[in-house]
Parts: sequence; structure tokens; C-alpha cells
Amino acid sequence: MVSKTEETQLNRLENQVDNGGGGAWEYLCLVRKLKARRSEKVLKYGLSILNDPEKRSALGPEEWTLYEQVAIAAMDCQCLDVAKDCIKALQKKFPESKRVGRLNGMLLEAKGSWGEAEKAYSSLLEDNPLDQVIHKRRVAMAKAQGNISGAIESLNKYLEIFMADHEAWRELADIYVSLQMYKQAAFCYEELILSQPTVPLYHLAYADVLYTLGGLENLHTAKKYYASTIDLTGGKNTRALFGICLCTSAIAQVSKGRNKEDKESPELHSLAATALEKDYKQRASDKLGLLTSALRSLKT
Amino acid sequence: MAEDLVLDTAIRDWVLIPLSVVMVLIGVLRYFVSKLMRSFQVPDPKIVKEGQVIVRARNLRAAANFIPPKSFRSRRVYFSNEENGLLFVPKGQAQNAQAQMFSDPNMAMDMMKKNLSMIIPQTLTFAWVNFFFSGFVAAKIPFPLTQRFRSMLQNGIDLSTVDVSYVSSRSWYFLNLFGLRGLFSLILGEENATDDTQRMMQMSGFGFDPSKSLSAEKDGLDIVQHEWALPKFEHRAEAVLKKLVN
Repeated sequence: MVSKTEETQLNRLENQVDNGGGGAWEYLCLVRKLKARRSEKVLKYGLSILNDPEKRSALGPEEWTLYEQVAIAAMDCQCLDVAKDCIKALQKKFPESKRVGRLNGMLLEAKGSWGEAEKAYSSLLEDNPLDQVIHKRRVAMAKAQGNISGAIESLNKYLEIFMADHEAWRELADIYVSLQMYKQAAFCYEELILSQPTVPLYHLAYADVLYTLGGLENLHTAKKYYASTIDLTGGKNTRALFGICLCTSAIAQVSKGRNKEDKESPELHSLAATALEKDYKQRASDKLGLLTSALRSLKT
Repeated sequence: MAEDLVLDTAIRDWVLIPLSVVMVLIGVLRYFVSKLMRSFQVPDPKIVKEGQVIVRARNLRAAANFIPPKSFRSRRVYFSNEENGLLFVPKGQAQNAQAQMFSDPNMAMDMMKKNLSMIIPQTLTFAWVNFFFSGFVAAKIPFPLTQRFRSMLQNGIDLSTVDVSYVSSRSWYFLNLFGLRGLFSLILGEENATDDTQRMMQMSGFGFDPSKSLSAEKDGLDIVQHEWALPKFEHRAEAVLKKLVN
């Protein structure tokens, strides 16, 4: 995940390059380091560097990394001829390379010839059965073909071996949520929280899933996780604030008959509501009326 | 007798400096040869999986207080279950790692190659030093030493009255051997095959024994007491919001 400072730096460089201020190479390096997906810009500026023979030779051995980056960006923007040229150049230089083989597989994917791409990836995997990227590409292929259950299966098999790969857990959680398999999604989010406990995003997503599952215990847990998100983000996360209000009202509804006083945090609900109002007043004051009426209906 | 011997400057020009230069050159040569000879080691899937299991178990231990108690307990059972828990290694397999290391032909070949690339240049240089540069005093060590070191540092010099601080070129060779490591990391970058001393230390502690680390993780996991931290967070969130609102 990209941190805020890195993102601002990236945007600044992007603006600089857009307005003709040079620094295209630094921009491309930063995009590559942060693994950000800005394929149009990468394609434009990468091609401008590659087509200029002076600049290209100035890069030295980095030229080939740039070819790879531009090839992937071209495939993302569906400029398949550009991608094919780049891959051809790379293949001439590195004839037996696995990385180039992987790019070939990606090109077949981009063209839509799934069967051939699958064959290419399988042959690469035979030589090197522990290549993480190729496994992940197969999952992506299954997902792109709409074969979600196949994607889940391959992702699960991948995670059996590489169980410390948190990106894969994240992807699996996304897939489960899209299929409304919330219990499994909750498990994946727990894994993510275990590996990176200070990332508020996972707490928030976990709380969302728990709230959706429903049931008194889950609602209480969800409220706690919304609270931890608020704590981790310093109260600025609007969604968590809403989550608290919704959870409190849902709990009140479910336990209407029983007199279960929430001894742990009596003021949390009202505080969250006040914080929300303050936030809306600052940022979207025309919607403040909607907010107050919604909150009022929640309280009853 | 502690008399001062005057050493010929020709010794410095023709012994100390050429010896250092030769050792640096040999080190650089070895680095490039090792780069050429490096074989791509296919990682063993079982070892990779075990490594990942350990990472996951460690995460579980570290952040156990962030997930609800039920999930923590179910995960703990998953890991340390007697029958098919991931971390549970039956006693018989535990001894195998070392035997496996010897019987695995690839690994044995690799180790032999690494050892050879280290031993051969060392032996050759040592023999060369002994042959050409023996029998005279090469340098004076600036601090005094006891008589014990005489046999080690003064091997070509057969006078027992010479102060032990005056050493032969063999000691200069050893000094270079250990001292040039820093120079090599400057010239050749971090990864260089000339880290002899490191390799010698590695040779004694034989390699990665996965089963031991697995059982260590299992014990650690069994010890952990789950104390759910989340209720505290509600209070903290209250405090944060109070500050924000007021």
C-alpha cells in the first residue's frame, strides 16, 4: 500500500512531468517502486524515452527494466502492438529468461487467448514450481474469465504454501465479500489484522463484515473494531464514525427487551455523532441537514 | 633484549605492498569466478512452506491480542494440533535434517564448491608466501607481545633473541586475510564471496534446521495468553473523539 507522503510525491512528479518539466525517468522509477498503476502516463513517458535513441542509451542496463514496465503498461491500455515490440526487444536480449516468458504469457492473456496463456504459465511453472508471481497470474486469469470459484480454489492452494503473503489474503477477502461469503471473508481479514495490526483499513473492513453478518455478539465485536479504527486514524475516518452509530442503534434494536447497559463506552455513540456533525459542517455543510435527520432516526 | 632493529625500507617496497596487492587481486578474481560458477538453487517446496508457516505463526503470536478470543483459539488449535497441526513434528523426523543435508547431492556439491573456492586460493597464497617471503623480519608490530606468539609469528626467523614484535611476512599475510574483508565490501559491494571468516563460522553451525524452529514456535504459541485488547480500544476511541470534538 502506498503511504500518503509517497502518494503526494508521486502526484507532484506527475504534475511536473505533465507540464513539461522533465524528470520522467524519476517518475517512472517511483511508479515502479511503489507498484502504482498509472498505465497511461507510464506508457506515454516510457515510450517517449524509449523512442529517443539518445535517452535510451543514457539509461544503460536500466533500459530493459523500462522495456518491461512499458510492456506491462501497454497491455493495461490495450496497445498490444507496442507491448509486442517491447517484448520482442527483450526476447532478443534475454532469450532464455523466465521474466520474458512471463511477459509473453501476459500478452496472451491481454489478447484474450486464455488457453494458450494457461499453457504458457503451466510450462513456466514446471521449471520453477515455486514462482509466486506466476501462481498469482493464474488466479488473476481465472478471475478475469469470470471463473470465480476456480480463482478461489487456486488462491487457496497458493495460500496453503505461501501463507505469509498478505496481498493474497487481501485478494481472497475481496473475492469472498463479492460472493457474500462473509464468514470466510472474516477469517481472511483476521489473518490480515494478525500480520499488520496497525493498518486501520483491515480493522474497518473486518468491522464491516462483522456488522453485515449480524447477531448480537458480532455487532459488539464490530463496534469494538470500529472504535479501534477511530483510534488508529485519530477520529478522521468518517466510515468508522458512521459504523459506530449504526452499530449502537442495531445493538439497541436487537437487545430491546433485555436491559443490557453498555457499561464500556456510554458516550461513544453521542461523541461519534457530534464528530460527524462537525466534520460535515466543515466539509459538506449543505448535507448537514440530511445527516442530522439520519442520526436522529438512528437514535430512536 | 629490547634493541631497535632498523628495517630496510626495501622490505616495505618489495614485501608488504606487493603482498597486499596480490591478495586484493586474488580476492577480486575469486569474486568473479564465484559469480560465474554460481548455480541456481531450486528452493525446496517443503522448506519454503515451513518458512512461511513460521512467519504466520510468529504473526499470530505477536498480534494475538487483536483478534477475538474464539478465532485465536481456533488458530492455535490449527497450528499445534496433535494429529495434523502445522507446527507439530513427530520426534522421528527431527533428527533427519542433518542427515538430509549430507545425502542431498545438490547441497553437498554446492558446499564443496564453496569450500574449494575458499581453500584453494588460501593454500596457494600461503605456500607462495612461505616460499618467497620467509627467513627475514618483515615488520614490527607496534605493541609488545608475549613469548607465546613467537612460534606463530616468527616462523622463518631462527633467532630466539629477537623481540617478538618483529614478525615475519606470514603474519602480514594473516593480517591481510582478515583485514581486507572491509576493503572488499567497499570495492565489490555487499555480496562478495571473500567473506572467509563468516563462512568459517557458518561451517561450524550446520545450516537451517527447520524442525527445531517449528517446535520452538509451537512452544511459544502454547505459552501465549490471549488478552483481547479491543475493549480497551473503545475507551481510547472515546478519548480521541472527545479531544476532536472539544
